[in-house]
Amino acid sequence: MSMNRIILIMLLLFVMEGSLLPWLIPSGYGGRIIPHFVFVVVIFASMYSGRHRALMLGAGFGLLQDIVYYGHMLGPHTFMMGLIGYLAGILFERRRATLLMALSIVGMACLLYDTALYFIYRIFRITNETYAWAVLEYILPSLFLQVAFALTFYVPLRRLFEAGLQGNADQEEE
Amino acid sequence: MIELFKLMRNKLVFMLMIGFILFIAVIGYSLSDRKKLTMPENFIKDSVIYVQQWIYKPAGFIAGLFEDIRGLREIYEENEQLRLTAAAYTRDKIDYNFIKKENERLQQALSFTERQKALYNYNYLIAQVISVSNDANNRSMNINLGSLNGIKKDMAVTTVDGLIGLVSSVTPLTATVTPITELNEISPTFNSIAVTIMGRENESFGILSSYNSEIDRITMTKIDENDPMTVGDTVITSGLGNVYPRGLVVGTVESKKVGDYGLTYVASVKLAASFDHLTEVFVVQQAELEEPQQ
Repeated sequence: MSMNRIILIMLLLFVMEGSLLPWLIPSGYGGRIIPHFVFVVVIFASMYSGRHRALMLGAGFGLLQDIVYYGHMLGPHTFMMGLIGYLAGILFERRRATLLMALSIVGMACLLYDTALYFIYRIFRITNETYAWAVLEYILPSLFLQVAFALTFYVPLRRLFEAGLQGNADQEEE
Repeated sequence: MIELFKLMRNKLVFMLMIGFILFIAVIGYSLSDRKKLTMPENFIKDSVIYVQQWIYKPAGFIAGLFEDIRGLREIYEENEQLRLTAAAYTRDKIDYNFIKKENERLQQALSFTERQKALYNYNYLIAQVISVSNDANNRSMNINLGSLNGIKKDMAVTTVDGLIGLVSSVTPLTATVTPITELNEISPTFNSIAVTIMGRENESFGILSSYNSEIDRITMTKIDENDPMTVGDTVITSGLGNVYPRGLVVGTVESKKVGDYGLTYVASVKLAASFDHLTEVFVVQQAELEEPQQ
């Protein structure tokens, strides 16, 4: 029940990310501020709902992103979203993250995600700009957007995933 | 207990290895020149984009409403300019009709085949942008025309301002456009485009080889040293090779200098079209594409 709701909300977010958000970003900044809100939700899943769930959600929505916006290659988002979600889940296996910790983890995960994507595209020669330029041009500006999103939706997202966990635990006990 | 832990650790590394190999394999497979998408891809893409088309256009309409109010002052100037162009257009139209008649008569006299006559007879299909990718290195757009509407891979896509990209993959109901900003000489997925200069189509020649995102300009290479191209000229596609249609505006020449080996010139071109907040685009359908299959 709860998992269905999580998937439904993430699907809605994914649809919005491609169609509504480009209009909210001011003209001229389209290539600089790039939302990765689905990825932020995956990181929340890893912090409050366990690494396996984060891996599944990350790989699933990464694959969706790869297929829907298939330009050069399939796979980078699937792999990086799943892997980073899983790694963040290992970090938070025993304890619950506080607000500040959650925000810094989201920030670091986004930095890692964008960096990894940049190097994948660089290795396969899709792009040839330098890393320093990429950091200043789009990685840092988008990082602020992601952290702002995480801060705004911290409470509902945490409640969503912790409710999911509760539901799961109840089922296991039964 | 420790052994169990070790086993788990090994399993993790093992799974990671499998995942990594799978990942490289999928990338390698999808980087190759694929003619058609598979069934599940078609299905997922069509269904997601079907939902997205309900959002993109209304959002654009509301955003456009605010921009319209802001742009009210510029309308007078624009109107004056349009009146001037309309006057020039009626003058040119008379010329054009004469030249067209003459051309048809000459083609008849030289007994052109039907295929040759239809070669430059392009059909512009209007399409709506539905969604834009949120990946800095892959800014592809989805449009609401697909193979059922006659869209094929590698068709050129323009706006009223100029060329914006090429169709990179097609599903029954939608198509994905790779913007011209992804153009890269060494990239395995995007080819170069042959261009010329408006007004001197027979004298100028160049190849758009790659887009430099750091300075926002496209690099045009292989220009002859005797080429009369100057700064400020309008760059259009030449249609040589018959893959891309001719006569689509790309941008203006900003600077021209001697290339790396000193034999040819290199120019940087400023793109005419902007890529933010796109709504309506035109897909250029070439008439002769369907001929060989009949």
